[in-house]
Amino acid sequence: MSAVVEVEDLWKSFQIPHERRTTLFENLTNFFRPNNYETYAALKGINFSVEKGDCIGIIGDNGSGKSTLLKIIANIMRPTKGKVVVTGKMTPFLELGVGFQPDLTARENVGVYATIMGLKGRDIEGRTDEILEFAGLQKFEDTKLKNLSSGMQVRLAFSTAVQTEPDILLVDEVLAVGDIEFQQKCFEVFDNYKKEGVTILFVSHDLQSVRMFCDKTLLLRGGEQVEFGDTNRVIDKYIYKSDEQDEVQSKNDKWGTKKVEIFDVKFLDKNGSENTNFISGDPLRIRIFYNSAELVKSPIFGIIVYHQDTYCYGTTTDFMNQGIPYVFGKGHVDFYLEKLSLLEGKFDFTIAVASPDYESSYDWHDRLYSIQVHKRTQNLGLFDLGGSWNVERYD
Amino acid sequence: MLTLSRVNELAKYRELIIKLAWSDFKLRYKNSALGFFWSLFEPLMMLIVLYIVFSNLMRIQVEYYQLFLLLGIILWNFLDRGTTMSIYGIIGKPSLVQKVYFPRDILIISSCITALMMTMLEFVVFLIFMAIFKIIPTILVIYAPIFILIEFLLILGLALGLSALNVFFRDVQFIWRLILQVGFFATPILYPITIFPENLQKLVMLNPIAGIISMMRGCLLYGIMPPPTYLIYVTISTLIILFIGYGIFDHYEPKFAEAI
Repeated sequence: MSAVVEVEDLWKSFQIPHERRTTLFENLTNFFRPNNYETYAALKGINFSVEKGDCIGIIGDNGSGKSTLLKIIANIMRPTKGKVVVTGKMTPFLELGVGFQPDLTARENVGVYATIMGLKGRDIEGRTDEILEFAGLQKFEDTKLKNLSSGMQVRLAFSTAVQTEPDILLVDEVLAVGDIEFQQKCFEVFDNYKKEGVTILFVSHDLQSVRMFCDKTLLLRGGEQVEFGDTNRVIDKYIYKSDEQDEVQSKNDKWGTKKVEIFDVKFLDKNGSENTNFISGDPLRIRIFYNSAELVKSPIFGIIVYHQDTYCYGTTTDFMNQGIPYVFGKGHVDFYLEKLSLLEGKFDFTIAVASPDYESSYDWHDRLYSIQVHKRTQNLGLFDLGGSWNVERYD
Repeated sequence: MLTLSRVNELAKYRELIIKLAWSDFKLRYKNSALGFFWSLFEPLMMLIVLYIVFSNLMRIQVEYYQLFLLLGIILWNFLDRGTTMSIYGIIGKPSLVQKVYFPRDILIISSCITALMMTMLEFVVFLIFMAIFKIIPTILVIYAPIFILIEFLLILGLALGLSALNVFFRDVQFIWRLILQVGFFATPILYPITIFPENLQKLVMLNPIAGIISMMRGCLLYGIMPPPTYLIYVTISTLIILFIGYGIFDHYEPKFAEAI
């Protein structure tokens, strides 16, 4: 394994003049009046490296520097400080259909676009028919691009772009366009790339697809690198907007507004007594004790189960349509498992209570609790799926 | 800087350069009924007007004046078109600059090649005229491609510098238009250089495009060998402009994506 993309102490700042002087005249007349610049730091000391074959998600709010980072890696912009080392052939998918000419035919545009994306002439010749077929546009090959619908144009661009054989793929929100079927197609293609060992850097707001695809994720906030590591952990961090001071506590994370406070969590076994050791298949009751100083409407209680860094299961009262009208004062919420389907190992639990729209977390106990699960069968793995064998003989 | 490794790098992108140039060329005539005949039409119209004005009213006495004029117009048009098209080469293609990476001088080289393609078409007309006037070119015709190449490099140098400056100072395009207009009359296109007094002639001929036009005429129409020292001067001044152009381009290139 070796790093194919290395980003070292990367800084990028833009100078935004208070008045923009775009003509020579303005520059001359204002020559003796210095222009005031506002320096805007878009990226502040980013550090990470990507191994060959990794799929890296880059997430963060708008303006957090995701696209700038991608553009610098793609060599479109140059860093102010620091460096980026890229080994291998890189293809940026920052926008589909770069250089499309509305007045050329579909076939001609495939030729131009494929060349821009770095395909060789003889490869393009052989594949043009295939590309048109994949896009479903054989009938329209001699139609001018401007007469095709925007959906067709996107399909054509995508079909062409995926013909490239990159070592490193940069993807910026490409999947945001197109219908569900098209997005599905995109995912299939990216999945294939992944299987072929292509390194992918993927900027997206769609956390679900990041969770699905990416081994590791980089979280940016205001140009700073908040976290780089295991996707599920980083995404949780992003969703619940944990503050920096929480990082210091690392494993013993606790944060929130305390509008509703979780003051105790108990794991109860089949006898109703508190325990940390459970046997697979037995009942388990997680009792969350809360205290609320004021009346809080529709709070959502949630549980996340981890095995090491693997996100195993997550549920909330909201997901299971168990709305809680309000809480006031002390009380408890139970999460009951009739048959514990975890099989063996140590499992960590995140217990949390959040506002109705998940906007803010009232109290978040990040992997603060854990239980040990023991198996009673010889089965292997993390989960007991509860299946049974059946044999029939045909004599 | 324009180094050997740079040229090597560009060679790897030759398919892209040709593809971009060719699609630009096709686009110019895509929606017109007469297609590329328009590009032939334009210099011919100009030739007719200028010929009438200058041969009848101004009474310029030059052998084969029609061809003299046509060749001057074609070569000047090459410079005019090449630089004018290229000046928008960066600001006119924001998606190619901001969304994908390849060496940005490719955009300029390809638009200069588009201009070259159009000029080649006009040369076909010129050859027809030569046949009509029954001019048998001498062996000196072998110089023609050399002059075209020199002019191409001159245009490329100017275009690189201008297009890069135009990203940051948008009135460069208007200033250049003005310079071209003055240049058209300050260059011996309509008239022979001999109408000037001796010392002024030297000054006018410092302009490499004036040199290219007059030497090309000498070779194709009058069988005059280009004076070697002057040919060397034109070549070297062209190369200096090319290097300065590349210098300016390289200086501004890193900020293109942000400034467009």
